[in-house]
Order: sequence, then structure tokens, then C-alpha cells
Amino acid sequence: MASILSLQHLKKYFESQKAVDDISLSIEEGQIFGLLGPNGAGKTTLIRMITGIFYPDQGDIIFQGKKFDPIRDVGAIGYMPEERGLYKKMKVGEQALYLAQLKGLSHREAKEKIGVWFERFGMESWWNKKVEDLSKGMGQKLQFVTTVLHNPRLIILDEPFSGLDPVNSNLIKDEIYRLAASGATIIFSTHRMEQVEEICDHIALVNRGKKILDGTVAGVKDQFKENLFLIETEGPATLNGTPPFSIVQQTDSKLIIQPTEGQSRNQALRYLLDLQIGIVSFKEILPSLNDIFIKLVEGTPVSRSFETKKDLS
Amino acid sequence: MNKTWIIIKREYLTRVQKKTFIVATLLLPILYVGLIFGMGFIAENSRETLSIAVIDSSGYFSAPILENQNRIDSSSVLTLVNGLSQAELNNKEGGYEGYLIIPALDWKKGLDSLALNTYKSYGRATTAAVEAKINRIWSEVVNDSLQIDLGKQLILTQSRIGIKAKNVIDEKSDSDTAEGIGYVVGLLMYFILLVYGSQVMMGVMEEKTNRIAEVIVSSVRPFQMMLGKIIGIGAVALTQFLLWIAFILVAYNVAKEAGTQMGAAEMVGNMQRLFTKVDVPLILGCFGFYFLAGFFFYASLYGAVGSAVNEDIREAQSLSFPITMLVILSIAMMTASIANPSGPIALWGSLLPFSSPIVMMARIPYGVPGTVPWWQLIASMAILVLSFLAMVWLAGKIYRTGILMYGKKITWGEMLKWIVRKN
Repeated sequence: MASILSLQHLKKYFESQKAVDDISLSIEEGQIFGLLGPNGAGKTTLIRMITGIFYPDQGDIIFQGKKFDPIRDVGAIGYMPEERGLYKKMKVGEQALYLAQLKGLSHREAKEKIGVWFERFGMESWWNKKVEDLSKGMGQKLQFVTTVLHNPRLIILDEPFSGLDPVNSNLIKDEIYRLAASGATIIFSTHRMEQVEEICDHIALVNRGKKILDGTVAGVKDQFKENLFLIETEGPATLNGTPPFSIVQQTDSKLIIQPTEGQSRNQALRYLLDLQIGIVSFKEILPSLNDIFIKLVEGTPVSRSFETKKDLS
Repeated sequence: MNKTWIIIKREYLTRVQKKTFIVATLLLPILYVGLIFGMGFIAENSRETLSIAVIDSSGYFSAPILENQNRIDSSSVLTLVNGLSQAELNNKEGGYEGYLIIPALDWKKGLDSLALNTYKSYGRATTAAVEAKINRIWSEVVNDSLQIDLGKQLILTQSRIGIKAKNVIDEKSDSDTAEGIGYVVGLLMYFILLVYGSQVMMGVMEEKTNRIAEVIVSSVRPFQMMLGKIIGIGAVALTQFLLWIAFILVAYNVAKEAGTQMGAAEMVGNMQRLFTKVDVPLILGCFGFYFLAGFFFYASLYGAVGSAVNEDIREAQSLSFPITMLVILSIAMMTASIANPSGPIALWGSLLPFSSPIVMMARIPYGVPGTVPWWQLIASMAILVLSFLAMVWLAGKIYRTGILMYGKKITWGEMLKWIVRKN
């Protein structure tokens, strides 16, 4: 598949720090891309360059095969920032119309699309309600609708599930899948790893302005696996001789092993079978993204935002 | 440009459709008129009729003379009470509000001052009635002593020659009318700049507080966002102002129709006189210009401040204080300029962009080109236009950074740094 967005050696320095320091990335069409990183890693600055809010100091952004032009391309991008909100005193319908028109939709087009989305989310009766009268969850739903209303090719969601209950979270999650299936590309920025693991195909990890990891979720896990296997046995296993593995952990009927240098997992399995030990299950232990994240980020100052400017978080 | 237009429309419509706008537009003129009449009414009613006991040792203030004066003018009552003792005079239960002790007098010398002894304190408006009455009696005494009859008195009062300032270059400039109009127009400008300028600030702060700023700047440039807001609110101010002019015209025509009844004729006459004394179209035209240009100048400053502060209204107040000081300084310069409309303060005040909307507007009623030469008017306008363009541009740079900045207290020094910072 063609790449919809490609960042080439992107740099953005502020007086006090290198917010984005030479990041290159390529995101393919239809992908759900997880942009991860601790607070203050430079995610928001990176996203603000992609959405045309900031100009990069150096480097190029190629969007849909052409050099990114904020004025031309904003209509193809939907951005839901982490610091998000709506005009409190405005009516729901007018608000959606206004934001859609700012994205370049005509009044008629906007109204049509709002109708479709409001129906899908069961929001038809909200039209004349004021935003301040909506609950937080309802407000987030409206915010999501206004982000994707203009049918953007690239959707950037910064912590989209914050403030949502499980029901609405699932609703939004399903929409993300549906939008991706219909060809939209989604960049999903968060530090909630379990969501990334669940939703994303591809991830990049940013820390201190640099990209420190990039790949598919499976690929990354593979890269960081520690060759550990979980074996469930019928009853406690008694081992003798020199097993071709070291035991990392042993409980009643569970065994975590790591094959020794030069030995394969099949040899480990054969050794156990030769001892007449009943095997219930045999499974490789893959690290969770959370573990990888912590491992990579640990030891670096996690939150630079407290030392310096808050707008760079 | 198209998106700026969408923003202007929203800023305008949401404000104009608000109940507070309609109420303020209708109520403010009523309040204003009410205030003027109310103040007159209060002044009228706060004037008390003093009943004063008079002890006369001069012989000029006899009972018949006092009674005669009380008949002519009832705003104070003087009663001759030569028999009362000092103790009785000091007794405030005696039915009088105070007393006068007139010493033996020589009509040729008169008296520098006379103590009006009262049991309470009274305002000038109240005691003036007593003073006037005493002086009327004294004039009669002097006139009689000098044997000046009524005919001679008439000649004496006509012997005064008044000086009336008249500008020969500009026939229409009449300094009394100009002074009045100058004050009204200058203060109106002051009011508009402060009220609508801070509306821009509040609007920008609202966008920051509601966290909608970043949503919007992902669709439009921050500069468009700021410009849209300033133009939108400027249009609201213009609408309100035009509505008020319409009110005045309607009231004028209604009064004209009503004819001579209820003193309306006097008002119509006053307005007609006004139209002949000052160049109304010029004043209105200049007002429109200075109103818009001055608004742009101050609104962009207020907008920049609004973008830099967080939710805290006190922070906004302290940061916008220097701007407010500029407006207040302009008012001080305006007062000096009205006192001397061709002086150096007037000249500099009408050239400096921060004060020219107020100072120049206060001077224009004195006449162009009589008091304000054409070159001054044109230079003032050109400087103001260039300044507001520069100010909008600079404010845009502050706005761009400030609108996305949360949680940090910003100073003016920091805002100036944002101006020179690259994108």
C-alpha cells in the first residue's frame, strides 16, 4: 500500500529544548498507527507539525505524495487534540456546522453529513441543546463526530478515550476500525499501552524528541522477546539431569523456562516429554508493549514538561 | 479569506443574537437619558428651602423689604427677628434652620462676607438662594442711595461687553458647541475602545478556557482566527452604534412631528442649531474611521493579552493594565486638548496612534481646517492605519504562541519574545 504520510528528518527546536529532533516516519494508507511516548516526549509537537499548526524548522512532510501544504491539506485531516473542547454556549448542531465549514465543507454538505453521523451515534435529538448541557461523555462523542465529519483521509486522535465510559469507548473504537476499513488512516497518540496493543497495527515510540522504535506491533514484540516459554504440566514436574534450559520461575504446575544458548524450544520440549511429564500447554511469553515502553523509557527524565514549557507535552 | 468570513459570521451572530446585546442596546440610551434627567431631578429635589432668622443692626433689612422679597422669590424665607437673644438663636427648635446677624453697615463700603449660621450643613445650591436674596436687597439699597433709577439700571446692565470666539477660517467652528461635542465624542470613543476591546480579550480567553483553540487552529491559521474575532466584534460595535444613531434620528423626527408640545420644539431647535454650527457629516465620517481604526489597534492588543493568559481573570486584568492606562492617558490628553485645541498636547495626542482616536475626535468639532489643518488629519489617519496594521501583525505573532500555551504565567517581556521568535 502507498504511504499517505511520510516525515523526513523533521526537526523542531524551541529555545529551551529540542522538541522534535530528526524524526523520520512513514505511515501507510489504511493503517492504525500508534504514536507512543511519555509526557513531554515531543508527540504533540510532532502532531502539530503534521496538522499544520507548527512549521518544522527542518525536514519535509510528504502528504498524499505531495509536499504538505497546510492551507490546501487541512480539509483532508481530522485532528482531535488532547486539550480539546467546544464552545459551551453554542448549540450542538450549530457547533458541528461551524467546525465542518471551517474544514471547507459547504453549509449544505455539512448539514447532510451531520445528519448521517448524528443518526449513527443516536444524537439526532441533541441539535438544539447547548454544549454546556451535555455530559462529559456526550461532549466527547460530539467532539469525535466533529473530528471525522468532513471525511478526512488522515485522522489524528490524541488520547481519544480519556473521559469516556466503557460503552462509549467501545463505540469510538468500533468507529476507528470502521473508518480504517473504509480507507482512512488513523494516527493514535497515547500513553495507554493496552489500548495500543488492542487497536494499532503499527507503532512508533518517541522519547526526548527522537524516535526510538518503529514497527508493527507483532514485530516490536518479537524484537523484544526474551526467549521465555510458559509450560503448564499435569502436576508438579520433577526434573533431573541437565535440562537444556534454565528455569526462570516454577510453581505447582507452571514452569517458565529459557532455553540455554544453542538449544531450541523443541529440545526443551523433547526433554520434558522424555521425562514422561504431561504437558497441558506450551506457549511463548511475549513482552507487553507496556513492558517494552517502560524498559526503553526508564531512566530518562520522563516528564520534561515540568522542567520547561507545557505546550510541548 | 473565506474561512475568516465564516469566523466573522459566527462571532457576529452569536453576539448579536444574545439577549444581553438587545437589552444593552435598548437600555443604554434609556439609562443615559435617565441618568441626565435623574441627576437634574435629584439636584432639584436636594435643594431645600431655608427659613432664616435675620437680626439686622444696619436698618437696611427691614421687615417689609424682607417680606416683599419672600413674595418674589420663595426659594428661601428670611424673617426679621430683632428681639431674639443669642441663646434663643442657638436653640435649633426655634423653627428656623439658621440665622444671619447683619452688623451696622455703610452702604458705600458694603461687606466682604456674612456668616450664615446653620444648625446643619447645607450644600451650595441651598445656600445660594439666601445669598441671592441678600444681594438683591443690597443692590436695591445701593441703587437707591446712588439714586439710580430703573432706567439707569438698565443702561448699567447693558454696559457689559462679552467676547465671543469666532474662527474666521472656519465659519462653522463655534467653540462652545465644539467643546460640548468634543467631550461627548471623545468619551464615547473611550467607552467603545475599552468595552469592545475587553470583549475581544474575553472572547479569546473563552476559546482558551474551553480548550477549543487547538481544534480551530487545526482548520484555520491562528491569524485568521484572531482577525475573524476582531472584525466580528468590531461589526457588533458598529451595529450597536448605528442602532443608536437610528434611535436619535427617530426621536428627532418624532419630536419634530410633535411640534411645539412639551418643550420638544426646544430640542428640535437645539439640534437644528447644532447642525448649522458644526460640520456633522465630517464629524460622523471621522468618527466612523477613528472608531474602526482605533478599535483594531486596541482590540489586537487586547486579543494578544487574552491569548497569553490562562483562565484567571486577575491575571488578565494585570496584563491588560498597561493597555487600559494608554486609554486613560488619552482621556487626560483629550481634556488638555479641549482646553487648547491647537496646542502641542493636542497636536501630539492626535498624531500618536494610541491616543489619536480619542484626542483627534475631540478636536475635529472645532473645525477642519480651521483648528485641525488637513495635513494633521491626514497624517493622523495614515499613522493610525499603519499602526493598527503593524499591531494586528504583531498581535498575531503573540496570539499564535499564546493560544496553545497552558499553565504558565506570562509577562509582557515574554510576549515580546514571542514576536521575534520564528514560527
